[in-house]
Amino acid sequence: MSYLEYVIGAYAVFAAYLAWDFLVPRLRLARTRRNIVQRARREATRNTGVVE
Amino acid sequence: MNPVLLWFHQLGSPPTFDRFAARWTPWGFGLGLLGMAIGIYGALFMVPADYQQGDSFRILYIHVPAAWMSLFVYGLMAVYAAIALIWHIKLCEILAMACAPIGALFTAVTLATGSIWGKPMWGTWWDWDPRLTSELVLLFLYLGVIGLNAAIEDRRAAARAAGFLAIVGVVLLPVIRYSVEWWNSLHQGATIKLFGESTMDASMAWPLWVMVFATKFWFIGSLLQRARADNLERESGKDWARAAAGVPR
Repeated sequence: MSYLEYVIGAYAVFAAYLAWDFLVPRLRLARTRRNIVQRARREATRNTGVVE
Repeated sequence: MNPVLLWFHQLGSPPTFDRFAARWTPWGFGLGLLGMAIGIYGALFMVPADYQQGDSFRILYIHVPAAWMSLFVYGLMAVYAAIALIWHIKLCEILAMACAPIGALFTAVTLATGSIWGKPMWGTWWDWDPRLTSELVLLFLYLGVIGLNAAIEDRRAAARAAGFLAIVGVVLLPVIRYSVEWWNSLHQGATIKLFGESTMDASMAWPLWVMVFATKFWFIGSLLQRARADNLERESGKDWARAAAGVPR
């Protein structure tokens, strides 16, 4: 294949974009869920006065 | 009420949207990935090399769909922003702001892959050509929308300000589209047309169309996933958000 390194470079950029676009919001969603769960635990602890 | 209208109204409710996005996000990504696998296989292994450009023309199978997406996503972002500004629909603010990073990434891919193609074909990585320059300005506009949205603490005021910038920036879209016709440009004119005869042979064009549809499906998956994350973050104090996060009642 002619210009192979350019073709590989362009497709690698595209693959990196797809990976970034898929992972970043997924991680954000997971972090938000974790924060909600942690906040709920803190509130439950405060209300019951029991420290785990 | 008309059932379709009723469905749209219900979809505007954050918990309903969360369920909708959770259901359809995997479909968007899945169909997008499947289409891209077929399109890229066709582009790399089934389509013959170009008689002038050799194999470097295979880059256009990602460059052109990314370029079209950069314009399409911006237009959609502006439509969502306009709806959000006029009717104060929170979900449209979320969707508009979710469009911005996706569009910015597609624009960056367009510029990067165009530059990689340009080096062997034009002999340079970059030229201040009208098409290239206007596409770069589009990237800056996307970054401006993202930056403005992040700079204001009140989420709704931030989305309104950034949405206004998105609407103003729409004037750039026809400039990008017609830049190769209005000015002397190193960039070639349109060879693939939605309406009218393309100058690209059908045997070479089919993977491109597959990629065009695949990127649309990918965008749906990405938009829903980003909007879902933002929606859950904004509503994190509500009962439904706690239930969605797995907190026992």
